[in-house]
Amino acid sequence: MRANLDLSSKLALVFLLWVCAFTLSWTFQFVLCLLLVIARFVLPAFRPISQRSAAAFSKFILYSISVAVLVVCLNALFIKSGSMIATLLGFSFYEDGLLFGLRTASRLILLSFSILMFFISTSLPVLIGYLQNKGLPPYLVLMLLLTLHFLDHLPSRIHQIFLAQQARGAPVDAGVFSRTKALLSILSPLVLSSIVESIERGTALELRGFLSKPSPERQPEQVETRVNPLTVCLYFISIVIIAYSIYRWLNI
Amino acid sequence: MPKPIRQRIADEMTGAALPFVAFCIALNLTAGQVTAALKIPLYLDSIGTILVAVLVGPWSAIICGTAANLLAAAFGNPSMIFFIPVVIVIGAFTGFLARKGWFRKWYLVVIGGILQGVLAALVSAPISAYVFGGVMMAGTDFLVLYFRSVGNTLLDSVIFQGLASDPADKVVSYLIVFFLTKNLPQRLLSRLRGATNVR
Repeated sequence: MRANLDLSSKLALVFLLWVCAFTLSWTFQFVLCLLLVIARFVLPAFRPISQRSAAAFSKFILYSISVAVLVVCLNALFIKSGSMIATLLGFSFYEDGLLFGLRTASRLILLSFSILMFFISTSLPVLIGYLQNKGLPPYLVLMLLLTLHFLDHLPSRIHQIFLAQQARGAPVDAGVFSRTKALLSILSPLVLSSIVESIERGTALELRGFLSKPSPERQPEQVETRVNPLTVCLYFISIVIIAYSIYRWLNI
Repeated sequence: MPKPIRQRIADEMTGAALPFVAFCIALNLTAGQVTAALKIPLYLDSIGTILVAVLVGPWSAIICGTAANLLAAAFGNPSMIFFIPVVIVIGAFTGFLARKGWFRKWYLVVIGGILQGVLAALVSAPISAYVFGGVMMAGTDFLVLYFRSVGNTLLDSVIFQGLASDPADKVVSYLIVFFLTKNLPQRLLSRLRGATNVR
């Protein structure tokens, strides 16, 4: 199943879900969200690539449910138009605000779930490899890989500098103004060390000829690409939904 | 004939610039960790983009901001994907100001930060209003609700909220970048294309 649903199909599915988020009613959107959560457990193509991804998705589900409830309640409370639907502990809830809250919450969750579903089931090196095959320049590929390296090391480096500055007496617990000044004492060594490291890496890359122009004789590697029928199908459904929505909008 | 965009990006991404842009993408994603540790109520999520715009160039800054937002989505903040137009504006506008020499004087940096904040608020407002209904899953959502409850339209409420919070965040980000670049030794600074933007 994972093999059948390649990255192009996954991207097409994300696009279809985005189209649904802007065209379908909130009830359909909530159903789609539910289907996405089920798909994460049932379909191997949507299984998280790591324990960390699985935990992030579960955390996000709980977080988005609480946000959705909050969005619906607050909008029903603050937007005082339409008929009053309920009064609870002296607070009145209104119909228009409730409907707006439901529409907003369902769209927010569907958009977020579709993107998160794509990323939790696709490892970044695989995604970067896919983008390279689709024509992303090699220097951008290297930049993304270097970012992953920095992301691994930066939190510990920040923690180290923070502790060092604290030990030197930087006002990390004083007033807001002093703390903002302390921010500079943390960021300065961080940026300085990163520029030193960047110069070293840049020099190493240039010495290896990475950033030089390729010779005209050297042909770029041709990657065979086959169009997946599922991808075409998903894009076709998206276009049909968009066309139908435009038709309905023009006829109102 | 103007150079194609791909060529302009390649021209900026030379030598130390490439690893530095990668570092700034990571900085955009982790700056929140520093502000959280210091308990400062600021996002500073575009500080890396501003650094790149000043020290490397606008095209690299656009790449930096876009990549940071894509990675933020991958790491559990999916709504960031829709705000890519905002980081494009931040990168391009800051790069433009830097080339005009606005990062040499602190008062120009403050004015630039305010202008950038207003611009960012105006660009992000339609996205926030029409895509997310004004809800960004943040504390500023209460401001939007407040502005709506006093009779403003959704778009107006989101614009007012943006104008209330974005300029302050951008002024602080701009000032931090100004002081950071001022403190850098000339020997290191000269290895980056934008060295003349700050001295």
